[in-house]
Amino acid sequence: MKRTGTVKVPDGKLVEVTLTGDERIESARVTGDFFLEPPAARTELEVAIEGHPVTVDRETLVEAIAAVDARLIGFDAGDLADATLEAVR
Amino acid sequence: MRVRVVDSGTYSEPVQQAIERVLVDRVAAGEVEPTLRFWYRETPAVPLGRFQAYDDEVEADYADERGIDVVRRITGGGAMYVEPGSVITYSLYLPRSAVSDDVEASYAELDQFAIDALRDLGLDASHEPLNDIAHPDGKIGGAAQLRTDDAVLHHTTMSYRLDTAEMLRVLRIGEEKVSDKAIQSAEKRVARISDHVDASRREVVDAMIEAVGDRYDTFEGELSAAVLADARELAAERFATDEWNRKL
Repeated sequence: MKRTGTVKVPDGKLVEVTLTGDERIESARVTGDFFLEPPAARTELEVAIEGHPVTVDRETLVEAIAAVDARLIGFDAGDLADATLEAVR
Repeated sequence: MRVRVVDSGTYSEPVQQAIERVLVDRVAAGEVEPTLRFWYRETPAVPLGRFQAYDDEVEADYADERGIDVVRRITGGGAMYVEPGSVITYSLYLPRSAVSDDVEASYAELDQFAIDALRDLGLDASHEPLNDIAHPDGKIGGAAQLRTDDAVLHHTTMSYRLDTAEMLRVLRIGEEKVSDKAIQSAEKRVARISDHVDASRREVVDAMIEAVGDRYDTFEGELSAAVLADARELAAERFATDEWNRKL
C-alpha cells in the first residue's frame, strides 16, 4: 500500500503522512507546512510511526509520537496520529 | 541592542536561502552583529517550506518551463511565490537571548516593526497567529523561524504587488488549506500592500527601516565578502541541488 492521510489543524498547519506496508507500517513520510524544532526530528517522528500494525489504536500512536524529543509547532502528536490513522484506514 | 540594517545586494534564490543559514550561524557564534536584512531577488522563485513535499506544492512542469527557481528553505511553514519588486522579504538574525522563548509571542514581537510601518502608511495590518500579517481583505504576509541553541532566524515575506494569478499557476494550493477559512478563492486570501496604500515599494521599506529604529539601535551595513563567499559555496552545495530541493 501507499496511502496518504492529511490533517488540516484548525487555525494551524497542514500535516500529511504517507505510508507503505501491508500488515505493518513499513515506512512513513511526514510532510507539511508545520514548524518543528529541531528540524532533524522529522525523521524521529517518522520512526515513531513505523513498525506499528495497521490496526494500531490512536492512544498508542499518540504516545509513540509524543515520546519524540521535539517541539511541534502548529500541530501536535494527536494531529499526526490522526493523519496516520487516516492513511491506514 | 545594536542591529545592523542591510538593505542591499541582489542574489539568486539559492544564494538568498544560503545566506539565511550562514548568517544565523554566524550570529549564533557571535561573529556577526544582530542583523535585519532586506532581500532583492533576481528572478521569480518559490521558497518552499523545509518539510513540504515538492510535488504537493509546486506545478513542477510549469515552474520548469518558466525558469522559476524552487528552493527549499531551512525554515518550516508554507510555499510562497515571489517575484523581484513585487514582494518585500526581510530577515532578522538575533541572539536567542533577545527573543522570547514563547514561539507564538515571538512571531508577534518580531513582525511588529513591519506592522507598525504599514499602519503608519495607513494600512490596516495586524498580527494573526501563528505567523501571519493580516489585513481585513486577506493575508499580507507570513513569517517563518528557525531557532538554534544560540540564535533565531525570523524571516517574513509580504506581498507588495504580487501577480496572484501567476501564483495560482505555480503553486498547488490544496483545498484543505483554503476550506477552514471558508474563503472560496485562494486568490482572495492574498492582500497586497499596493492595493491599499499609495506608497512605492521603496517607501514601504524606508518606513520599515524607520520603524525598526524605534525598537533597536540601528546602523547601516553590508554583508561581508566572507559571508557572501560562504553563502555562494553553500548555495552550490545544497540550495541549488535537487538533492536538497526535491528531497521530499
